[in-house]
Amino acid sequence: MKTYDIVICGFGGQGVITIGNLLKLAAMKEGISVSGAERRGGAQREGGVTSHVRYRVWEEGDTFDERRMTRSGMIPSGKADMLIAFEPLEGVRHCNFLHPGSRVVLNTEPSPPTLVRMQKYTYPPLDDLLSTLKEFTSLVFPFNINQLSRDFFQDLLHISVISLGLAVGLGEIPVSKERFLEVLQERYPDFEKNQRGFELGLQLARSAGN
Amino acid sequence: MVFPLPLIRILMMDGILSHEAGRRILAMGNEAVARGAMEAGMGYFATYPGTPASEIGDTLVAIQDHVPNLYAEYSTNEHVALHGAIGASFSGIRAMAAMKHVGMNVAAEPLHFLGLTGVLGGLVMVIGSDPGATCSTTEQDDRWYSLHTHAPILEPSDIQEAKDYTKEGFELSERFNVPVILNLPSRLAHNAGDLILGDMPAERKATGHFVKNPVRYFNLFNSVVENHRRLLESIDRLREYASSSPLNRILPGSGDWGLITSSVNYGYLLEALDLLGLYDLPILKIGLSYPVAEKLLEDFLRPLRGAIIVEDLDGFLEFQIKKAAYDAGLSLPIKGKDLFPRYGELNVDLISETLAREFGLEGRLEGLSIAARAKPIIAKLPPRTGAFCAGCPHRATIYAMTKATRRQEVYGGDIGCLTLSGLPPHDASDWVTCMNCGLATSQGVSKMISDQRLITIVGDSTFFHSGVPALVNAVQQDADVLLIFLDNKWIAMTGHQPSPTTNLKVDGQNVPGVNIRELLRVLGVKYVRTIDPFNVRAMMDGILAALEAPGFKVIIAERECSLQADRRRRRMKSEEEVYYDIDPERCQRCGECYRDFGCPAIKSRMEGGEEIFYIEEATCTVCGACKAVCPNSAITRTEVRSRTKVSELAEVAG
Repeated sequence: MKTYDIVICGFGGQGVITIGNLLKLAAMKEGISVSGAERRGGAQREGGVTSHVRYRVWEEGDTFDERRMTRSGMIPSGKADMLIAFEPLEGVRHCNFLHPGSRVVLNTEPSPPTLVRMQKYTYPPLDDLLSTLKEFTSLVFPFNINQLSRDFFQDLLHISVISLGLAVGLGEIPVSKERFLEVLQERYPDFEKNQRGFELGLQLARSAGN
Repeated sequence: MVFPLPLIRILMMDGILSHEAGRRILAMGNEAVARGAMEAGMGYFATYPGTPASEIGDTLVAIQDHVPNLYAEYSTNEHVALHGAIGASFSGIRAMAAMKHVGMNVAAEPLHFLGLTGVLGGLVMVIGSDPGATCSTTEQDDRWYSLHTHAPILEPSDIQEAKDYTKEGFELSERFNVPVILNLPSRLAHNAGDLILGDMPAERKATGHFVKNPVRYFNLFNSVVENHRRLLESIDRLREYASSSPLNRILPGSGDWGLITSSVNYGYLLEALDLLGLYDLPILKIGLSYPVAEKLLEDFLRPLRGAIIVEDLDGFLEFQIKKAAYDAGLSLPIKGKDLFPRYGELNVDLISETLAREFGLEGRLEGLSIAARAKPIIAKLPPRTGAFCAGCPHRATIYAMTKATRRQEVYGGDIGCLTLSGLPPHDASDWVTCMNCGLATSQGVSKMISDQRLITIVGDSTFFHSGVPALVNAVQQDADVLLIFLDNKWIAMTGHQPSPTTNLKVDGQNVPGVNIRELLRVLGVKYVRTIDPFNVRAMMDGILAALEAPGFKVIIAERECSLQADRRRRRMKSEEEVYYDIDPERCQRCGECYRDFGCPAIKSRMEGGEEIFYIEEATCTVCGACKAVCPNSAITRTEVRSRTKVSELAEVAG
């Protein structure tokens, strides 16, 4: 059995939970076992949201060993293979999950929390946030995903699907891109736009990866 | 992602109604419970929504039209929900009541009688517990209720068990003639993963029949004592059975220290042991945590040198296990809450760290050194507190309240989305505890103070949950309190379930909703004003005027939840488009809209070394409240009919 653990973070209304579900549904099509808890509060749009996605990829000859193969709903510290952060501050807030081989897809557009708006805290400079993350892993891939969503879709609804494309392109997620497209087509309205967003992420990942 | 599909379509696709036993679907813990209830042939379901348990009801209410003979309702509160389930059970139908942990406090009264009456149709009560208070205003170990109600508790550890234990709960309930509690912590309720479906019943019992049973159902004086005796006998039989039940099982091992655990901590414990490379310690996994299986425990403990109990919160298992060990004459050391905290939630980090210390294996955990490095970094980050959504009418009401009164009054808070009034930038809830704590506590405060004035808030669903008695009391005692009734027409916080005041569904269909104004009049409230929160000036004036009036008074701040209004607007595809802008020429950068009002659609960027405020069109819901907030008239409204969006032009050109 191989495992692959993904932490997705952001704030309410950005699509954190939607992307978690997409990652699970696509993996199930590959025969991968999935689990992972979400931290959600109420229905409000601004509080922090985290989704854990845990894969167990079965291999030839595996026999189930409960003691070695059980995975709970929560990823332990230092065990995430991928962190998808929809906001830079939230990305750093989840740095405890990273290990030296983790990959980070980071949306660089800050969304200052209320206490920053009130000038009770200072929003750290983006460069500081990036270098903090790089203390945990060198594989940090920053993009202004909000700007991409605005440029290509004139809204902020597509940051989630663009991020998914980036993660699939940059990570070693053991699920083929076709499975994601199938899930997008089967389960979400407006497939054409979502496909464009997903492909855009993949394409950017290719140029960033080189 | 563009607009989500209606819940029922998603559920159908996910196969929650599938008759294909053995099929693997993606389900969250809450959906697994719903599926388990369906497989058990449950016919009656009632809930009051509360995170983390809300999606059990959302699932069953959404599918009820697609399942023959399934009745599901959102009740006005948990007390009513459990009573309804009892009625169905007395009629021979399997019934479920679901609620969050604090809802159990509300339903505790009928629960205390349920052991005396017993059940006819199996009755399962699902409790969404919340160690770590991830979505609650309190942290409590709900399992203690069983020491005085004697309701057995099932503690599933994963999504599959959430379904299977639900089904088993109905069997146990009928076999032992008691209600059964399924304890589902938030980390399981909101864990989504593989679920393997079981068989659905060939048919669901269509109608029940009320079988008169006065000996059990009518409890008074001597019959109480007799039924109490019967209940304890049932529990003794269940305790016997518990030692052979597959709900409790031992993972054998050659080690001389044993581990005992239940619920999600079973998964955490196995992962912690895997990280430590410890594979030989025997583990007792408890699925039925009241009454504990005494015989099994004795067999498990006897050969050991010591045992460690891994559980959340107070140490409910430890309390029972230590008693059982003492009764069995065992004197091995049993550790539990001397190692693990009695507050917050356990996790793999905490369990692995504790066990590493106990067994002298500290060096094996690299994850913990990463966590230690991350801790001071995370502690320094600006926290992200929740905030009202863009366009939320509550923001406008709370802003008007604090501005009009210059923060000089005493502010009673309450439960719901409006609890956020206690967070920055508003900081305007002087207390928040349980449902309807606002008015009921204000009444007491009002009688004891003379130099301060009181404003208290409540939402529509919370008010109907348990606020009517508080209101009647305030009227009768003529409490000198201003109640602001924030009527947003939905139970917004838990995912937009209908509230008693819902009068227009998202698809535009009219439904009868309670007219609060009429209700207040009938209950004897003399002073009632209805004000639209988006008219911020009128709200400020209205609040000041009301505070001048003597005695009890109510302002109804009536405006639908912006998320629901926005969903309807998108569906209806209105041709008229409105948008708001901040005129940079007029804007004085005072920050009133950005900081004090704090709408997330108002953003700031640096331009030429200067902070510029602007409204982000993609986030703005065009409520217009900010226009009234701006002291410099810098916010402008533009209305366009059939405006061709820049995006569409770009697509044509492209």
